[in-house]
Amino acid sequence: METSIGGPRQWLEATGAMLRFCFRVMGEVYGLKVFRYFGEALRQAGILILSSTLVIWSLIFIIGLQCGIEGAYFNRSVGSPAYAGVFAAWCDLRELVPYSFGYMMAAKVGTGIVAELGSMRISDEIDALEVMGVPSMTFLCSTKLLAAWMVLPFIYLSGVGAGFLASYLAVVQQIGEVSSGGYQLIFWAFQNPPDLLYSVIKGMTMATVIVLVGCYYGYNASGGPVGVGTATAKSMVVNIVLVHIIGMLGTQLFWGANPRAPIGG
Amino acid sequence: MEQTTSEFEWHTGRKTPVENPAIEFVGVKKSFGRNEVLSGLDLALPEDRISMILGPSGTGKSVCIKHMVGLLYPDDGDVLVHGESVPSMPDDDLFEMRKKFGVLFQDGALFGSMDLYDNVAFPLRQHTDKGEEEIADIVNRRLKEVGLTESGDRMPNELSGGMRKRAGFARALVLDPDIVLFDEPDSGLDPVRTALLCELIQEIHAENGGAYVVITHDINSARRVAEYIAVLWRGKIVESGPATELFESDNAFVKQFLSGESHGPLGME
Repeated sequence: METSIGGPRQWLEATGAMLRFCFRVMGEVYGLKVFRYFGEALRQAGILILSSTLVIWSLIFIIGLQCGIEGAYFNRSVGSPAYAGVFAAWCDLRELVPYSFGYMMAAKVGTGIVAELGSMRISDEIDALEVMGVPSMTFLCSTKLLAAWMVLPFIYLSGVGAGFLASYLAVVQQIGEVSSGGYQLIFWAFQNPPDLLYSVIKGMTMATVIVLVGCYYGYNASGGPVGVGTATAKSMVVNIVLVHIIGMLGTQLFWGANPRAPIGG
Repeated sequence: MEQTTSEFEWHTGRKTPVENPAIEFVGVKKSFGRNEVLSGLDLALPEDRISMILGPSGTGKSVCIKHMVGLLYPDDGDVLVHGESVPSMPDDDLFEMRKKFGVLFQDGALFGSMDLYDNVAFPLRQHTDKGEEEIADIVNRRLKEVGLTESGDRMPNELSGGMRKRAGFARALVLDPDIVLFDEPDSGLDPVRTALLCELIQEIHAENGGAYVVITHDINSARRVAEYIAVLWRGKIVESGPATELFESDNAFVKQFLSGESHGPLGME
């Protein structure tokens, strides 16, 4: 009996605790308290740029190639190879760039945050910060969120560019059944600036959630090195699930009612 | 969990009155789940002395330290620092109050992402407007005091356990705190290094003054540095008072613990 009630109750309690933590971290950013530690936020931004940009771009580039190849072969099979750009445009901007960005953020940044904060927690470094009169949540978590918001839109936008380039190379240079101009005419016709904005919103929502989930699991880690490992694994599971939920809801919200495609007038 | 009176038969609670205590515990109770760690702790630690809280492992000593700096709050009772109640402080006052403290954690708790110099300089950079030159003077003086002048550019993982503790000590002292807390400074150290660390604590206390509180279960350290001793067992003070009085105590538990005998009220349970 206790199990059947305990399960959902514990799950709800854990979700409530996570939401409370996330709102508190975001509140410290919105309340501008985090700017007392702007230097630390800049340091975190530097770490993000140096350690994560290339791997994010690389994954998005490969995904861009995949979108291009898939689009080119599918359109060839239905006798319209010139329209490979339709598939590539939608696949890149609306779906797979946000997803691959989310995957790499979860794998590289999210787990990195859990490992860093978790090891700080079990070695008393977080307590040491607190007793030095430094609010650890602001110093460690809110600065990371601020750094992510400062840096990731640019990494994401340049990642979109890497994906577009990769699709172009796959369709025009590798498979070569459509001219450069023909490909670009269709490719750009099937997307517009609001689509880019929506894509950025999708990606940044994923990034925000990933950073917050990573901070939550790392900040609250316990049980020694094994506990940190377990927290890292849990954060990865939660993040991957949330990335897909955000992706699905984003598509529904931004393009569900209006696919924004120049078909049939 | 309800505890029987017989569990506290050695807890006479005898204590020498402390005037203007630096830290005071008033009937503090704290449980983790069903495990009651502090069972009505009454304790006053004097100003300007090296006090030691002694007790067997797992008896709530580290929990005491966490209550002093507001990392844990009591389920019942109060903790006072210089007469101010820690549990009832708003967050901003609590962070301000913590600047009175320097804490040496068991393994030093140095920040792994910074070298030794930056670790020691960290509190100065966060809480003062001092320039880098002045910070360098203070940090180098503190590093010299603990014998780590040459190690400023080394990362914490390149230091031995004893060096990490000394570095943690330097960092704890860098803001000239009124109260310095030591959480088992002797753990993991060989007897010689323990003796050296104890000497260092005495020397620096003689120079800077303030209330030093050392938590340990090492009797030799207590004999070397303690001026005031509180013996903690099962979450309550058995006896507390000046070190000389405690070492002469007739209490069977205190006698057994301070002499390290295997026969007496304290068993393996």
